[in-house]
Amino acid sequence: MTTIASAKTETSTLDPVTFEVLKNAFATSVDLMSEQILRTCYSFVIYSRDFSSALCDKYGNTVMQGSADIAVHVGTLHFQCKAVMEEFGNDINPGDVFLINDPYRGGTHFNDVSFIRPIFAEDEIIGFAQNKGHWADIGGSVPGSFDVSASEHFGEGLRITPLRVWHKGRFLHDVAQLLVSNTRAPDQALGDLNAQAEATAVCEREVLRLVDKYSKSTVLDAMQETQDYVCRTVLASLGDLPRGEWETVDYLDGDPAKGEGLIPIRVKLTLDGEGIHYDLTGAAEAVSIFLNSGYGTTYSAIYAGTKTFFPEVPLNSGFYEAVTAEIGEEGTVVNAGWPHAVTGFCSGPYEKVMNAIFELWSQIMPERAMACAFNLEYLLVGGHDGRTKSNPYFMWYDWMAGGWGGRSTKDGSSATSPVFGTGLAVQPVEGQERLTPVITTQHSINTDSGGPGRFRGGCGVNKGGILTDAAGAVMSYCCDRGRSTTWGINGGLPSIPHGVWLNPSSEEAKYLGATFSNVSISPGDTFERPSAGGGGFGDPLERPSAEVLEDVIDDYVSIDRAAKDYGVVITEIDAELDEYEIDEAATARERARIRSERDSWLEADPAEVARQYCHGEITVHDVVRKYGVVLDWGTGEMLPKSTNQFRDSMRTRSAAHWG
Amino acid sequence: MADLRVAVDVGGTFTDICIFDESTQSMQVTKVPSTPDNPRQAVLNGVRRANIDLGEVELFSHGTTVATNALITRKFPKAAMVTTKGFRDVIEIRDGTKDDLWDAYSDVTGPYIRRRDRFEVTERIDYAGNVVTTLDEGEARRLGRLLKKRGVDTVAICFINSYANAAHEVRMREILTEELPGANISTSAEILPEIFEHNRFNTTVANAVLGPLVSGYVEELDSNLTKDGYSGELLLLHSGGGSMTSEMVKRFPVRLAASGIAAGAIAAQHVAEQCGFANAVGLDMGGTSTDISLVADGELRVTNDWEVEYGHPIVFPSIEVLTIGAGGGSLAHIDIAGSLRNGPQSAGAAPGPACYRRGGDEPTNTDANLWMGRLGTDLADGEMTLDRASAEEAITNKIAGPLDLNVDAAADSVIKVANANMADAVRLVSIRRGLDPRDFALIAFGGAGALHGVDVAKELNIPTVVVPPNPGVTSALGCLLVDIQHDLSQMFTGVADAADAETVEQHFKELELEGRERLRHEKVAESDGVYERGISMRYQGQWRSLQVKMGNGPNALREAVQLFHEEHEKQYAFRQDETPVEIYQLHLKALGKTPKPSFRPSPIGTGDPGEPLEVRDVYFDGKWHSTPVYQRENLPSGAAFIGPAILNQIDSTTVIPPDSSAVIDEWFNIRITVDTATGEPAQAAAANDSLQSVK
Repeated sequence: MTTIASAKTETSTLDPVTFEVLKNAFATSVDLMSEQILRTCYSFVIYSRDFSSALCDKYGNTVMQGSADIAVHVGTLHFQCKAVMEEFGNDINPGDVFLINDPYRGGTHFNDVSFIRPIFAEDEIIGFAQNKGHWADIGGSVPGSFDVSASEHFGEGLRITPLRVWHKGRFLHDVAQLLVSNTRAPDQALGDLNAQAEATAVCEREVLRLVDKYSKSTVLDAMQETQDYVCRTVLASLGDLPRGEWETVDYLDGDPAKGEGLIPIRVKLTLDGEGIHYDLTGAAEAVSIFLNSGYGTTYSAIYAGTKTFFPEVPLNSGFYEAVTAEIGEEGTVVNAGWPHAVTGFCSGPYEKVMNAIFELWSQIMPERAMACAFNLEYLLVGGHDGRTKSNPYFMWYDWMAGGWGGRSTKDGSSATSPVFGTGLAVQPVEGQERLTPVITTQHSINTDSGGPGRFRGGCGVNKGGILTDAAGAVMSYCCDRGRSTTWGINGGLPSIPHGVWLNPSSEEAKYLGATFSNVSISPGDTFERPSAGGGGFGDPLERPSAEVLEDVIDDYVSIDRAAKDYGVVITEIDAELDEYEIDEAATARERARIRSERDSWLEADPAEVARQYCHGEITVHDVVRKYGVVLDWGTGEMLPKSTNQFRDSMRTRSAAHWG
Repeated sequence: MADLRVAVDVGGTFTDICIFDESTQSMQVTKVPSTPDNPRQAVLNGVRRANIDLGEVELFSHGTTVATNALITRKFPKAAMVTTKGFRDVIEIRDGTKDDLWDAYSDVTGPYIRRRDRFEVTERIDYAGNVVTTLDEGEARRLGRLLKKRGVDTVAICFINSYANAAHEVRMREILTEELPGANISTSAEILPEIFEHNRFNTTVANAVLGPLVSGYVEELDSNLTKDGYSGELLLLHSGGGSMTSEMVKRFPVRLAASGIAAGAIAAQHVAEQCGFANAVGLDMGGTSTDISLVADGELRVTNDWEVEYGHPIVFPSIEVLTIGAGGGSLAHIDIAGSLRNGPQSAGAAPGPACYRRGGDEPTNTDANLWMGRLGTDLADGEMTLDRASAEEAITNKIAGPLDLNVDAAADSVIKVANANMADAVRLVSIRRGLDPRDFALIAFGGAGALHGVDVAKELNIPTVVVPPNPGVTSALGCLLVDIQHDLSQMFTGVADAADAETVEQHFKELELEGRERLRHEKVAESDGVYERGISMRYQGQWRSLQVKMGNGPNALREAVQLFHEEHEKQYAFRQDETPVEIYQLHLKALGKTPKPSFRPSPIGTGDPGEPLEVRDVYFDGKWHSTPVYQRENLPSGAAFIGPAILNQIDSTTVIPPDSSAVIDEWFNIRITVDTATGEPAQAAAANDSLQSVK
């Protein structure tokens, strides 16, 4: 264990003030980049804070990452910096600026374009300033460059391997022109290109100011010591924690090329007193759709998941030194490699790895425990807007908030941005309605969506819409966890499946699933989808009935599910005046009954469960939470392999903890 | 003869009173302890302490934290929200984001009105203002009766797209007025006629929950003052850098949510202007936090992005102020990896710094300043004594020991980290506006601003620091410097080139009519009304709009478009002359001019500061310096010093380090020339010269 005393002796050359001031100044140099890009960017996605900034040292290691950066970029910036260094070697000059977005060189997806500027002092590289931002479009077969049906990268968008765009201060306009001409909005792309490059110059200026004031060698020392500091902080925090191995498995919904069956992602964690080690070997083969991860985003998920348990620790390569991972051979869902499509990693393995890590650390740091959160999702409706004569092309590009998992001391957070990026804001309906012929019919909290538990999962959201005046409209959806439903831990129960319904309240109601592309829709069609709530934490039968009653008054939980999920029997006296009564005797009986029967429900014949669902005798809540059965939610077809896998998960995560 | 102007600014610990006597053109200040349980009491105590005859007062201006505190403590009356079917959770879903990106146990606070008190009615209007579903009046009336049964006192009516057509909200209000006589009702299109449902709904909800409480407070204070002889209007400072009368507060109580926050920034702007600086940074450092404001080209920046708590926006124009967790009471500590940190945790008022001897054993900036002799042991004219031994003990145990330093070096380290943190915050605020702080003057005030001001300026290469006459009550001064102000707006969408100038003019006329009406309501004389137009525009396809000033007349729109291009380039570093410019929103600032204090410069005397109060050892740059301490109130205009020197006064202490010089100017500001480049000792004569040249 590293103690404070030994940590101090490791601080070698700098006095405490110089170190603290420079560490904070590095953070400021990076945050200045972020302020600059917020002020000057063209892309609305960058403006919605889908960007990150970093100062890397002369080896490409990250000295400091922006304090408000999106989680999903964490831990990828040093890979990109090193890729540029490998590619250009000694041919890196003052006034050069390089671009890269290559997910096969540690990038995220094509839309995330990194700008890297070397910082020189006295003819020597002392570091690199980097800014990575999400371009609204980077070419490929669909607007926005998110092709749900892609299985290889060629149609997804422009792949930028390390590329020089400024040479010794001279702008290489022909190279830039080639890049932006491969996007749907060249002017906008060129604007962002200039803005991002300029942002890196802001960081360069600030670092050179520090060199002026403190000397080159002091700044170089501080860059290294800032990384050592973070590594030391993590190691010191591990001091009081147990050592050992922990292991879990989470699942993607499936691979359309392989029939039904959840796709496992295994995560093993080892604490040996010298660091935090993960092992992801044994993940499934890459899937035939774009829900794969490249190695960069898998590392990112590992770092972001771990950072959730060390929220105060700054992000830099010192963190990556304390946290190591073996992610296995190329060709798996977590290390897909060229040319597998990886743009949908964010809905696929990324959050699975994060949630698996949440689960593992929940056992080590119970005071920060948290069950599974809802899945990142976005729905695209594109077509021609019939509201104006010119019938322009429109994109209704919508993502939702949802519920986070229940925690060891309180309920999960309701209606919150995805764990993939908690700064990512959902859009105002009124703005969407101006720009697109879609009227939102509801945007509300989904009753009974929070996974039941001693501490309930946060509630998910329901969003419904109707297509009004449009032609040639199609709808695509990128999500997951339609089958691998958001799970509870420590005895808590799952939430509800994700998935889109077309014309839900009509005879022709159709379940479209949790990933699909290019479904035609016509004016008058309605569509609706929930975001899952969080999984529950702890045995729902131990939730005090008074807390269940409060949930009923606010309609977070219905009277019906209060009885079924919590065994709390509530009688309505006057709902208009919030008057209800808990039937204590009936509650005691109901809880005793559930306690004695619930293990057997996980053994019930899945075919019979499917039959009851098809006949409307039970709801999706019963199928998932009570019986642990996975169905095609539209046809009611039972999925035996997925059911077995999901039941295994429920036995470990829920049933094993029931007293 | 009524020639006194009184400003009362209520803060967390102290209530500051600032009295300007127009007949003598002089100012007097007083401080009384705040009375959080009944804030009105401190206001009245202050008036009494200052011995003011309210009959002599021409204008009474007040900054209050009543609304802000109510929003934080959530002490609300029985409130309800009525909204469009399908949307009762808009204020709970928000935009989904978290303030703390990484701590999964740190949640955004819940909405101001709980789900059980939010109700839906059948109605729908589309983006263009067309009725999609008519308001179900039967349902609306039944809901009114239910709200009465539930004992609701105040209601927020928030319908989707009401900014485009308010008819349903208006009708709903009529129905509720009939069914719920006496209730306070706010409608979203009246409170904030702007697109984006969460911002509009939440601002309206905040207005509704504050209504009864804030109106009550203002009404009672008003009647107290009237009873004691005040015959003018009670003016309440609001977030936009203006004030409103108690009558208007009853309709728009939410505007008081940022009362007081703007006052310091306004005062900084005033001091900068007085000293001839177009660009200035305001550094208002108190016990637990520091407010940083920026004056650029003589103007403060206004933002719509404001909230009391994260996730609950209150979208009215607000003076932009950045608050950071660095104050006199900020705690220095060694973190788990052995590194020295400063703040943002604070010792607060209890236990307070170690040297207060109230049980605090953690070292604060105050302890470090005391140990280094920068702060004296007597505070507030001897009302409080600080204990050096306790400061020494805390610094030794928590900092010097673990870092293996002597106490002097440890105390110095604590302050250096605090100053560097403040300088970093100023850098961030500046780049947000594309500015370089080196071109600025630093106005240092608040209880602790003048202790740190010069060091922070040095970090930033800022050459001049100005410390106003009463640094601790400078915010109260801000209350005396504002006009009555209403910020009105209207959505207007269309490409500027294609817009009919006549239609635009018509819309502005409507806004002016409303503004005139409000000013009349506030008893502002017709001749004192001033109406300033503004217009928000953006490049077509952009999301980010920019407000520019707009004149009157046939060319006004064209000129505004030109101005937009220029401002866009200035603020966002690019312009697109070929892209169509879209109008987004029209603004009107309706000002009711109030009389302002006319300060009289005092004649500049000789440079002699007279005899120091004492000479004590003060720690600068690694060694102790024998340093004269002067009583500031005794110093004449023109008095000049070469650092090191300490200037003591009842509400603040000014530190002039060895390599700086200072002079008292004709407004009794201390102007400090910071030697940023050479490190050579500055000359008092040089400081006096620079004073002459500024004049």
